Amino acid sequence: MKLRALLLLPILGSLALAEVPQPADPILSAMQQELAREKSDLVIPGMLRPYFIQYRLEDIHTYDAIASYGALTRESESHQRVVRVEVRIGSETSDSSSARGDGSLELAPADGDPAALRYALWSATDDAYKNALRAYATKQATLKTFQSAPTANDFSLAKAVTLVEPLVTLSIDRDDWKHRLIEASGLFATSPETRSFAEALQYSSASISALVVNRYTVNTDGTMLRHGYSGYTEGVNIGGQADDGMNLSRSNGSVATTAAGLESDAALNKRVIDDLISFNELRHAPVVDAEDYHGPVLFSGDASAEVFDRLFVPNVEADRPDIGTSARTQGAYQSSYRTPILPTFLSVVDDPTLRTFEGHALLGAYKVDDEGVPVEPVDIVVHGKLMNYLVGRQPVKDFPESNGHGRTALGQSAHSRAGVVIIKSSDPLSAEALRAKLLALAKEQGRDVYSVETLSGELAPRLLYRVTPDGKRTLVRGAVFDELDQRAIRSGILAAGGKPYIAQKVGTVPETTIAPELLFADITVKRANEEQQKVPYYPPPELPKD
Amino acid sequence: MATELHRALAELGTAIEPVASSVAKVGEKIPLQKPYFISYSVADAESVTITSQYGAIMNSSESHERTADVQVRLGSPAQDNTHDAHRTSALTTLALPLTDDRAAIERTLWYATNRGYGKALDALEKVKTEQQVRAREEDSSPDFTEERPQVDILAEEPPLTVDRSAWESRLREISGVFRQYPNIFYDTAVLQATHETDYFVSSDGTKVAAPNHVARLIVAARTRASDGMDMFRDETFEADSAGHLPDQAEVMAKTQAMAKGLNDLRTAPITEPYNGPAILSGRAAAVFFHEVLGHRLEGQRQRGDEEGETFTKLLGKPILPDFLSVADDPTLTQYNGYPLSGHYLFDDEGQPAQRVQLVQDGVLQTFLMSRLPIAGFANSNGHGRAETGKMPTGRQGNLIVTSTKAVSDAKLRQMLKEAARKQGKTYGLYFEDISSGFAVTTRRSPQAFQVIPLVVYRVYVDGRPDELVRGVSIVGTPQAALRSIVATDDQPQIFNGLCGAESGTIPVSAVAPAMLVSQIETQRQAQGTARPPIVPPPPLDDATNTTSSPKGGR
Repeated sequence: MKLRALLLLPILGSLALAEVPQPADPILSAMQQELAREKSDLVIPGMLRPYFIQYRLEDIHTYDAIASYGALTRESESHQRVVRVEVRIGSETSDSSSARGDGSLELAPADGDPAALRYALWSATDDAYKNALRAYATKQATLKTFQSAPTANDFSLAKAVTLVEPLVTLSIDRDDWKHRLIEASGLFATSPETRSFAEALQYSSASISALVVNRYTVNTDGTMLRHGYSGYTEGVNIGGQADDGMNLSRSNGSVATTAAGLESDAALNKRVIDDLISFNELRHAPVVDAEDYHGPVLFSGDASAEVFDRLFVPNVEADRPDIGTSARTQGAYQSSYRTPILPTFLSVVDDPTLRTFEGHALLGAYKVDDEGVPVEPVDIVVHGKLMNYLVGRQPVKDFPESNGHGRTALGQSAHSRAGVVIIKSSDPLSAEALRAKLLALAKEQGRDVYSVETLSGELAPRLLYRVTPDGKRTLVRGAVFDELDQRAIRSGILAAGGKPYIAQKVGTVPETTIAPELLFADITVKRANEEQQKVPYYPPPELPKD
Repeated sequence: MATELHRALAELGTAIEPVASSVAKVGEKIPLQKPYFISYSVADAESVTITSQYGAIMNSSESHERTADVQVRLGSPAQDNTHDAHRTSALTTLALPLTDDRAAIERTLWYATNRGYGKALDALEKVKTEQQVRAREEDSSPDFTEERPQVDILAEEPPLTVDRSAWESRLREISGVFRQYPNIFYDTAVLQATHETDYFVSSDGTKVAAPNHVARLIVAARTRASDGMDMFRDETFEADSAGHLPDQAEVMAKTQAMAKGLNDLRTAPITEPYNGPAILSGRAAAVFFHEVLGHRLEGQRQRGDEEGETFTKLLGKPILPDFLSVADDPTLTQYNGYPLSGHYLFDDEGQPAQRVQLVQDGVLQTFLMSRLPIAGFANSNGHGRAETGKMPTGRQGNLIVTSTKAVSDAKLRQMLKEAARKQGKTYGLYFEDISSGFAVTTRRSPQAFQVIPLVVYRVYVDGRPDELVRGVSIVGTPQAALRSIVATDDQPQIFNGLCGAESGTIPVSAVAPAMLVSQIETQRQAQGTARPPIVPPPPLDDATNTTSSPKGGR
């Protein structure tokens, strides 16, 4: 192990674990101590020693509050620590690891007691080692049943990296935010603009959710990391039914890396009112045509970002292919290397080194991934052609080294994940020009076309407008898209432009997608065929008269 | 708040007029039916939980939740939407606002009641169809009892105050005991304290509010023998509040004893399968009676296609030796100065708790009844219990076993040796501690039960010292086990714990004297094949070995 590390680290100098500078952080210190002991002592006589051990501690602090109908319903806060131990048996070429990833989890002391921390690591290491031995034997036997060897190694080597960043703390004015949520969730009853349809509203809630994670990592490569991130999410969720029973809702909010970065009190209240009015408009909007539409649809930046998040991003994140196959990876682009997957005027880069964009702090930004590999921008798509996958320390065919995208969800093993995905056009149109082009198509084709502002889950439209050739817009409800797929984004995008939309989510790993508006040539819009639930059997209680 | 609930109920209950209606032929409208019963049951609970392992605090948190269980019944008491497999159709559970905002509470209850009505309507249709198609049921009792309304608004629980920092220090010291035992690879010490006020309002006139508070300190540990057999022990301390739990000296002494005992168990010899006489300690007998008898006397188990109905036909017949009687009495708050976990004033259907004589001089008298009637029993006896979010069913409270054939402990031991000698055995067994396993009462599985012995000794006929053994599990059928009780001692012991069944997890207790059984069947405990830990635990240096003071650090 040490010899191999020598070949890779000609510049770094200190190689043996004992020579890594003792960290000032007592948690890192305790972790290093136990790692050294296990590295030296952990073996069942006659069995293989681990060739790689990694310790990770996650300090997770969350705060959540939710208010409904103008009253606080729930408030909870939790602070806990978990350690995850990964042990690998074998070698980088072929080891004990599975596609899903293997690790043993234990609770770790919240109060930082070093003896208890080392004890938790010891316990998890014992489990992880025994599991790895079993897994290695089973896997070796399974591999022998296949004709061809795997298309890539199981693990790639990496240089030792030390990066100890400042700790991140959860900071939020809880009383102030509870007050805001209570007010926002009760606006339906108190605001003059919405009072007239308040009875049709079945639920109205506002919520805030804060997550702060500090992650400590040490491994037998000699890497030592401490990295913290934070994500604050607030939102409103209102809804009810139209008279024909169709469920309608509006659900949106803001995301930021600090509580102060979330929208202001006034903006939140305005959002609620706008959502309520929008809900009422949806209730009275006509249902989309019974017959299918196949034709141009203009997607807002918001909608486009979501399309890319669902159809594109997961398929350029390289994962280990199924055992026994000769595939490169999983997903729709597994054999599309160097082939066109987008129009030639579009390029996509993943650049986690970009920390802000137009004044917004980006959630998906980072310096070093969770496997200890520093990251640089990756050109995923260049003029429409797929040139690079996002890769962690799980190599795939043609990509034997990590490009710094090994990222972990809480308690999970590292998988290739995007950071800051930016979709750019080499020939962007202004927002007005895109609209003009849409109308031109409508005139040319002699029919109404569509424009979508925002989607609900599963790529279905939530705010969809029917647009006449002279530009008149009508909100319609009850529609779904069809044939919105990889082919549509490969050969169906006519133009891109307008103001880039920044989509951020805390998710399982924090990510950012920056996307332009997109004009599609041929998307199907059809009526959803969902069973309509019964409207309420009896009216809600009268609102207080004030 | 009770008043608000009541008003909400009255206003909404009558408002389920045929407002909307189903359409049979185009244009024709059929009025929908009104519910014949609605109830709102709200648990307003504040709790604190602190978890400690190996001398450190893992988690320390508090919470405040208000949850409403809304029950809607359509049809009639003779047959409603809860019949048979559709019992849960009556229940809708939702979080309520934490503040007494009347408009918000009413709106939330409306939303839940509306959903509940829809579920009940759907289920009633299914019940009607199924009844037409199936064979006649064995027990054709109604689906709901008629009871007198109860009105009793007791003082609400005061806010919960726990000195968290003091308890964190105590728990560090308690779990720190295990640092002296490198072979015990898992330990935990948990404090849990709850203050809860339960409100219940129903359309048949019941309106009650009752306070409820409990504090529990649980210490548990696990180890593994070199042959892979896993063993565990636990100690539970209970009081009405954290301030009344036993003092640190007592808890430390019990924890030390438990840790040493568990460590000794690692190297105890494995016992072979056995069929012969045994003594169950009072605590072990209490757990035994809870599992073997208590669960089988729950009312709803006497009815239904899936139930085994072990004791249904034995009403009025002897099921125990004639010197034993069993009562379930939730009105008791303590026994001999010790708190009882299964105490409550009103059950989860708003019925007052009642003392119920289940078995008198060995003869089965009655069952634990909720508002679900069974053949021969048309009323609840205040045992309708459930965890929040579940439909109440008949459950235990404080199960009290009494004996008129009580002898001293010494005499009981002597009787054990004599019984063993008579049966040609070289030893009898003494079960000092058992853990509640699970009771299987359904029709499809064999009528068996399994409780998990934790501490078992061989008591030699020839006077050798008692020998600790491991690897024992008790098996058998319920009636055989109960009928083989021969005598008891005169020192009842208490088991306080949490009992899980179909209507969820609820606090219970059981009180019983030690018992001599002439025939108990044991088999070898299924054991794992995992090795004990390979590397010894991390060495403790001086700086980290002391656990009496809280540790700082991030």
